[in-house]
Amino acid sequence: SGVWNFGSLLGLCLITQILTGVFLGMDYTSDISTGFSSVTHIWRDVNYGWLIRNLHGNGASFFFICIYMDIGRGLYYGSYLYKETWNIGVVLLLLVMMTAFVGYVVPWGQMSFWGGTVITNLLSGVPYMGDTLVQWIWGGFSVDNGTLTRFFGFHFLLAFVIGGGTVVHLLFLHETGSNNPGGVNSDGDKISFHPYFSYKDLLGFVIMLLGLTSLGVFSPNLVGDPENFTPGNPLVTPPHIQPEWYFLFGYGILRSIPNKLGGVLGLLFSILVLMVVAILHTSKQRGLTFRPVTQFLFWTLVGDMIILTWIGGMPVEHPYIIIGQIGSVLYFGLFLVLVPLGGWMEN
Amino acid sequence: MGRHFGDLAKIRHVITYSISPFEQRAFPNYFSKGIPNVWRRFKSSVFKVAPPMILMYLTYTWGNHVHEQGKRKNPADYEKDQ
Repeated sequence: SGVWNFGSLLGLCLITQILTGVFLGMDYTSDISTGFSSVTHIWRDVNYGWLIRNLHGNGASFFFICIYMDIGRGLYYGSYLYKETWNIGVVLLLLVMMTAFVGYVVPWGQMSFWGGTVITNLLSGVPYMGDTLVQWIWGGFSVDNGTLTRFFGFHFLLAFVIGGGTVVHLLFLHETGSNNPGGVNSDGDKISFHPYFSYKDLLGFVIMLLGLTSLGVFSPNLVGDPENFTPGNPLVTPPHIQPEWYFLFGYGILRSIPNKLGGVLGLLFSILVLMVVAILHTSKQRGLTFRPVTQFLFWTLVGDMIILTWIGGMPVEHPYIIIGQIGSVLYFGLFLVLVPLGGWMEN
Repeated sequence: MGRHFGDLAKIRHVITYSISPFEQRAFPNYFSKGIPNVWRRFKSSVFKVAPPMILMYLTYTWGNHVHEQGKRKNPADYEKDQ
């Protein structure tokens, strides 16, 4: 069905981000004295620089839309039972998150600087070597020029690491072939890639590119933070430091735990929990198509992630604190307890 | 690398029939059967999708309402003012 398009769409997203990113890199300078103004220069002076920057920034949002949909499809239809493909997919998710994080620091706006400061500081929660680790990452005693230059380098490099990971992901997928909405073996029902899937994927590309360009030209700042229009200033802290929308659910889980290391582990395990889904699969059926109890739990997970995304963007005040804590417990409870229980009941 | 046509599955005793695309309508009963089918698919999934979404919306509105209430001044704090 249509939800199988997100794999090829992710490939398109990666190519789009690399192409626009390479062109941005031709005019960007990764020094704190010129970084922000080089982005302004790209926007105003470089031919179609505004469009390239638009597509790159909003392209990151579409990358995450596609990756969350791809994971959702995997969870709903039990595609995670292709364990190697799935686990490499989780690694790809982590790589994409790292790339997006360091990439957001690059423009050196207020949210770039302060978001970078908050998240890199989390590493100080690591016992014994935490502070040393943070200073090693920073290349100094705070987020400063050393941090920016290496983060730009990491951002450029990680994009190609993702490309390599994608090849391995597809290598394993092509050993088994794709799953399907019925969750059954489809070896006897194969059809050629061309023209069926070439045209299906092309339709998906057209729809996604339409969405991306519409967002870019009609409402380019819809999901952005206005703080990033101000150059990064270590002497002025913004009242509400928050990451981009695609990280807010993790930010909500992080802030729900009133302990620095605990919060960091919660954030880390909110992604790593995906790696145990296959081990906790209890149902005799692969997907959720004929499993109403677990279907209800799946949509509860979707609602919970939307709630956590909302909470991640709210100040740490009542009643947002308790909602975030209940939401976090529900998130892990669904993966580790409720869904396995649902599968067992349905048997 | 990967699997190839001719090496996928052996299926015996299955007979398939097909009719030429030039001998049939391209989108038969598209609206007359399609619309009732959409309704059938909606009915079969609405009670699994809607309750979590409704609960989510209610949590959102309740949370914002309680937060707004908490920002209001408490008249009891100003009773002894002159």
